[in-house]
Amino acid sequence: MKPDPSLVLERTVQALLGEIAPAMTPPYRAASVSVQAMLLGVAREEIDRAAARRVEENAALRKLFAEGAPVVRDAGLRERLGSAAVSADPSLRVPDLDATNQALRALLIGLHAHVETLPGPEARALEGAIWRELAASTERRRIAIAPF
Amino acid sequence: MRGTEAFVSAGNMARRRGSVPECARVSDLERRLAAYLAPRLPGASAVEVSGLERIHGGASRETSRFVLRFERGGERVERRLILRRDPPGSLIETDRRVEFAAYRAFHGTTVPVPEALWLEESPAPLDHPFFVMEELSGLESSFQTLLTPAFLPLRPRLGHRKWTILGEIARADPEKLGLVGPMSPVALDACWQRELAHWERVLDEDELEPQPITRAVIRWLRRNPPPPAQKLSVVHADYRTGNFLFDREGEIRAVLDWEMAHLGDPLEDLAWGINPVWQWSREGLAGSLLPKVEAIRIWEAASGLRAEPAALLWWELFSCVKGQGIWVSGGREYASGANHDPVLGLSSWMMGNSQDRAALALLGKLA
Repeated sequence: MKPDPSLVLERTVQALLGEIAPAMTPPYRAASVSVQAMLLGVAREEIDRAAARRVEENAALRKLFAEGAPVVRDAGLRERLGSAAVSADPSLRVPDLDATNQALRALLIGLHAHVETLPGPEARALEGAIWRELAASTERRRIAIAPF
Repeated sequence: MRGTEAFVSAGNMARRRGSVPECARVSDLERRLAAYLAPRLPGASAVEVSGLERIHGGASRETSRFVLRFERGGERVERRLILRRDPPGSLIETDRRVEFAAYRAFHGTTVPVPEALWLEESPAPLDHPFFVMEELSGLESSFQTLLTPAFLPLRPRLGHRKWTILGEIARADPEKLGLVGPMSPVALDACWQRELAHWERVLDEDELEPQPITRAVIRWLRRNPPPPAQKLSVVHADYRTGNFLFDREGEIRAVLDWEMAHLGDPLEDLAWGINPVWQWSREGLAGSLLPKVEAIRIWEAASGLRAEPAALLWWELFSCVKGQGIWVSGGREYASGANHDPVLGLSSWMMGNSQDRAALALLGKLA
């Protein structure tokens, strides 16, 4: 698709912020258009990486589950982790990847809460790995205009 | 929510309005507002409302300015006022009675606020509950303004005033202010539980996707409860750059947006104000104004209270849970179509991610 959709969105954002919003009245409507432009700008940023970051994160979570399952004491949770670890993304469409990602992230919450209750260096190591993945997940989602 | 002024202050403006033209809608609202106010102005006649115009005023209420004119005792009177009207959906579900009571309580004290005039909780007069307060014109509120050359030199003074006023809010006696009643009291050792339970419930009800970082923070908070509050204070609950009006001399002229105010631990306010997500200038300054340690020192001096580091850390992490609660509930409003304000979608994306990063930073887990 040419011109690239991201280029089209970028030009649209520029027009909204640079030409259309400044010409609008009253000021709150101009501000609204500016916000819409910022929303499009963030969407443009996300479109570029949408599939890649989900594929990467789903793979990272499956690896984490595979490595963490032996540490887990709860049989039911261990089984769910094992199944998730060998699962696959149904397609590369973003809604499919997103649905899988949400299921994996929900399972991660369960794993994290469980591991926090376990003693021993293996549990601490797994807990550390979970925190590293959580930190990585925020970087994958990071937005250029965000304040922090 | 006005701290993210560039987008948040756009506030609730993209709502569906049906087929009624904007000018007719405004005219009708002006007429109905005048009809409402006329019997509340003793001795007044020829009551008129004009110039009703939406302005930036936060995403939790529709804010408009208007001019009220009437005759009294042979004289023509003109007042510039603000209408704060409940929207169908917003970033936060708030109690206008509490907000109105807070404005009333602090008016005339060392905590500057506009005068609140009339509260109407029935939707009959203007379709939604609302209140009216005085307009303070010619002042600034946005963080972008703070970052312009004219205001950069004023930031230390504004920061000093900001955390001094917050300290004065913390020092104030809620009983003497008449706010115990409009706001529910809570035991000193239960402040944290009430607030944490509230925001955890918001997340349970509104999150559109799993929040593993926020859920981990909640578990941490429960495992590491803070000490009891040093005193029961009025907590503004959204005290940050963007929610006060300042002038060109670096004075804060009004603290706004009291819609989440409640009684609780005063550290809650301090922690919220220094949350990293308000560092719009990206200089590491609390609220883009002052170094964090300086802000805390000023607050301690003004409040007469101590911000013990471990207790403050608890409330800082709590702020991340609360922040995420606000962002996800706004995201749900946007996604459901209850509120088309684009700021809700933008804050759900952008501030949600920043909030997670802030939590990780506070826990020493940021990559």
